[in-house]
Amino acid sequence: MTRAATRPRPLGPAGVRARLGEPDAMVAAKKTDRLDAYHRRFIAHSPFLTMATADARGRADCSPRGDYPGFVKVLDDRTLAIPDRPGNKIADSFSNLAENDGVGLLFLVPGARETLRVNGRGRPTDEPDVLARMETEAKRPALAVVVEVEEVYFHCGRALIRSRLWDPATQALAGELPPVGEVFAAQTGVGIPPEVLESHLEAGYRELY
Amino acid sequence: MTPAPTQRTVVDRIAPLADDVVSLTLRTTGGPLAPWEPGAHVDVTLPNWLTRPYSLCGDPADRERYRVAVRHDRLSRGGSEYIHRFLRPGRPLEVSAPRNHFPLLPAPRYLFLAGGIGITPVLPMLRAATAAGVPAELLYLGPSTRAMPFADSLRAEYGNRVRIVATRERGRPDLRAVAAGLGDGTLVYCCGPAPLLAAAEEAFPAGRLRMERFRPLRRESGPATAFEAVCAGSGRTVPVAAGESMLDALVHAGLRVPAGCREGVCGSCELTVLDGVPDHRDDIGAPAGRMYPCVSRARSARLVVDL
Repeated sequence: MTRAATRPRPLGPAGVRARLGEPDAMVAAKKTDRLDAYHRRFIAHSPFLTMATADARGRADCSPRGDYPGFVKVLDDRTLAIPDRPGNKIADSFSNLAENDGVGLLFLVPGARETLRVNGRGRPTDEPDVLARMETEAKRPALAVVVEVEEVYFHCGRALIRSRLWDPATQALAGELPPVGEVFAAQTGVGIPPEVLESHLEAGYRELY
Repeated sequence: MTPAPTQRTVVDRIAPLADDVVSLTLRTTGGPLAPWEPGAHVDVTLPNWLTRPYSLCGDPADRERYRVAVRHDRLSRGGSEYIHRFLRPGRPLEVSAPRNHFPLLPAPRYLFLAGGIGITPVLPMLRAATAAGVPAELLYLGPSTRAMPFADSLRAEYGNRVRIVATRERGRPDLRAVAAGLGDGTLVYCCGPAPLLAAAEEAFPAGRLRMERFRPLRRESGPATAFEAVCAGSGRTVPVAAGESMLDALVHAGLRVPAGCREGVCGSCELTVLDGVPDHRDDIGAPAGRMYPCVSRARSARLVVDL
């Protein structure tokens, strides 16, 4: 793809504020630094979150995490632990956390329009008592990310409402995407047939823990 | 084997029983609940998708309700924590049919030995033995009486046939002395944490001791090798790789096998073996011709199961 002839013009913070208006006082009031019973109940029913980190230079990264509802353990009202299940072993999140411990989490509960945002400081751990609580199918994760909570609040449901994310009819959208083997074959260009890549990927998907 | 039918219930009541222990009562929303014998357990599937086995401790004659007792495990993997913190009355729950790996066999007398929440399967056993007029005694151990569910009601109901020992103050009684004083033909039933079971195994003769475990015994198994699971019912042959469990291989192949603990304790994945030699790695003690594919494998290259 060629670069657009004119780049979209940037806007400074004053310009952004002028266009958005002021936030409702309620929005600031619901932000807290402690996990209360409502936050805990949401986390206990959430099977999916995204985790954003950035390196020392601010190069950002966002990765998905998912398991059974409540897979993220609340250790106390300031601390969470997220299991690190087998993935692509790139460990971008861990290399970022080593340079910059800032982390932003967004929890989703299927069917719920509101989301839960948790921002804080993250660090890896292999503490046995933490990993023991994450045992699934008789397997423990090798690592977990412990997050010290600095800011937690519920985000309103408009994005989820507009996106119709939980409407089963919207799942037809996935059918418009090409098979993933075809995508990988085209992107890597290593000459492996798409069917082989596809079956390799499917085999990997069988080893979830 | 047909998968165990599930029964529809709702949470009727959650009430504290002792420190960190609640009683959970489930009420049927279909017909009468499946009958059960003392020692039986059910698998409860929670709203967070986890399935956990709990011993039934209510009245077997009550076909409207099942009652279990649940201790909040400090290292909960999500089952007991969910029940204690998040489960609410009125929530529908699926419950398996009862299974019994810990049945009360006929004997001239019984000694029940319970540690902490291990009291749950023992409670209906003691009641049934007493009702049948068979001499039965209970030795019930726990860190403190506050942490021991049913301690007061047991004292009130059974008097000196129940001995309750708070081990934090008085230590664990010498089980060898208890064993030396056993009457002829006494069967000993023991349920509790691993150290109590280990002490009971040392003290009592194997032929007179029956035990139920909460968590699997750490054991040394031979290397896991690949084999083929032949499913006689569906005609499917499923390869089981060295690195995966037979249960996972069957489920990934699209076969319906109920799964509970996945560590050889609860028995929900039981299969009938038609041919081949199973390599039993469970803590239940598989009956002849049965196996638990969550942990058990095959010593032969092919294993034919009724699935």
